[in-house]
Amino acid sequence: MKACRKYKKEWPAFVGGQLPHGRTEEMAAHLKVCAACRAELEETRKLMSMAADFKEELKEVMATVDWESLPVEITDKVWAQKERTAPAQAPSGWRFWKWQPVVAGLFLGLLLGGALTFLVLRPQKPGTMVARQETGISLPADLVERVDLALARRETIDYLERSQYLLLDLLQNGQAGESGLVRQERIQQLLTEKKYLNNQLDDWRLMKARAICDQIELLFLELSQLSPELSARELAKVREMVEEKQLLLKINLVKKELQQGEV
Amino acid sequence: MEQKNERTAEPQVEFLVARVKNGDREAFMKLVAAYQQKVFILAYSMVRDREDALDLVQEVFLRLYEKIQSYRAGESFQAWLMQIARNLSIDFLRRKKTRKKDSLDGLDLDRADLATDREDPGCFQTGELIHRAVQALPEKQRLVFILHHFDDLKYEEIADRLGIAVGTVKSLHFKAIQNLRKTLAPSLGGAR
Repeated sequence: MKACRKYKKEWPAFVGGQLPHGRTEEMAAHLKVCAACRAELEETRKLMSMAADFKEELKEVMATVDWESLPVEITDKVWAQKERTAPAQAPSGWRFWKWQPVVAGLFLGLLLGGALTFLVLRPQKPGTMVARQETGISLPADLVERVDLALARRETIDYLERSQYLLLDLLQNGQAGESGLVRQERIQQLLTEKKYLNNQLDDWRLMKARAICDQIELLFLELSQLSPELSARELAKVREMVEEKQLLLKINLVKKELQQGEV
Repeated sequence: MEQKNERTAEPQVEFLVARVKNGDREAFMKLVAAYQQKVFILAYSMVRDREDALDLVQEVFLRLYEKIQSYRAGESFQAWLMQIARNLSIDFLRRKKTRKKDSLDGLDLDRADLATDREDPGCFQTGELIHRAVQALPEKQRLVFILHHFDDLKYEEIADRLGIAVGTVKSLHFKAIQNLRKTLAPSLGGAR
């Protein structure tokens, strides 16, 4: 047992032929009398053989690469990228240093001129304020945008919640739930609401919400085509659609993100 | 496998690096030629896809060029380059994993991808099995295993390339073997 512990860490090196000759002999002699170590060695050998298979695969893949032209290709790409990202080459040599005070003076002049212009013109600068037609009050554009986005978020959450309740009621209670006519009325309301929401969902920050709302709208459109009292087959089909598209899960995720203001 | 310019002497590398720092295109091309296969072996062992590995090789040398000014003469250039290659490969795997997870957020489940993601170990080829098992190893053990078994490096060379002690390499290799034996026990016929 003591010898087993001593050799345990060295079986990989034994298999790889990385041990001094004396040590290899010593371990080979131990193998003859120890079945446990023979088993351990056998497993290690199999593992090495698997690694060798992968190495073989690697060799085959490497044989398909054109190593001669790869450095040229890579260098071309690196240099192209370098030229795209690097600013215009800085002037070098004594000429640059000679003109440096002039360049610095010009730069400073531009900076001061720009700052003065900004200070003088700032109060009259158009475009940063938006006049609300209904009130005639001017507000900063970014504030208006933020408020609009917050409102759109709130209305989308409301739409998603009501759609979710409707779907849950339909899937859990089926015909035992609310009457078909009431449900159709709610579906019509939600379809109308979606038309109104569409404008607000055009904002890129609400793209994800738009996608899920569109899926809900499609489902509601299909439901509105069916008779108010759904047959068992129709109900099963609706259930299948909701489950296949994972609508309820997606509604939850998007709602959560909207509530956190991330969408 | 053919390893062109494998033993690119360090002083020569230092010289090439100094020239690359001054924007020498030829020197950069020579560096790429000297190390492209080493980077490829590491990348392929991590991602097991030819095109992805080639993209990674390109990305590694692009990053190398961007960071070359921060390389200090006297450091092991190989260790530095391998660090870049390792980090980019890990980033790549992370991105790939996140893309899979995000397919739900994109509201369009990537069913084709799920369909090819075989969960039954019985249907894997040997190469796939060992690749997956190696991926599951802790980072340092994985790197030592890859360099020893797929890049044919001896313990001393791995120590040199990674800038660590030979004893540490041996210990990491032993741990890697033990972990792989545990993971692959059913395929190895062991009881673990």
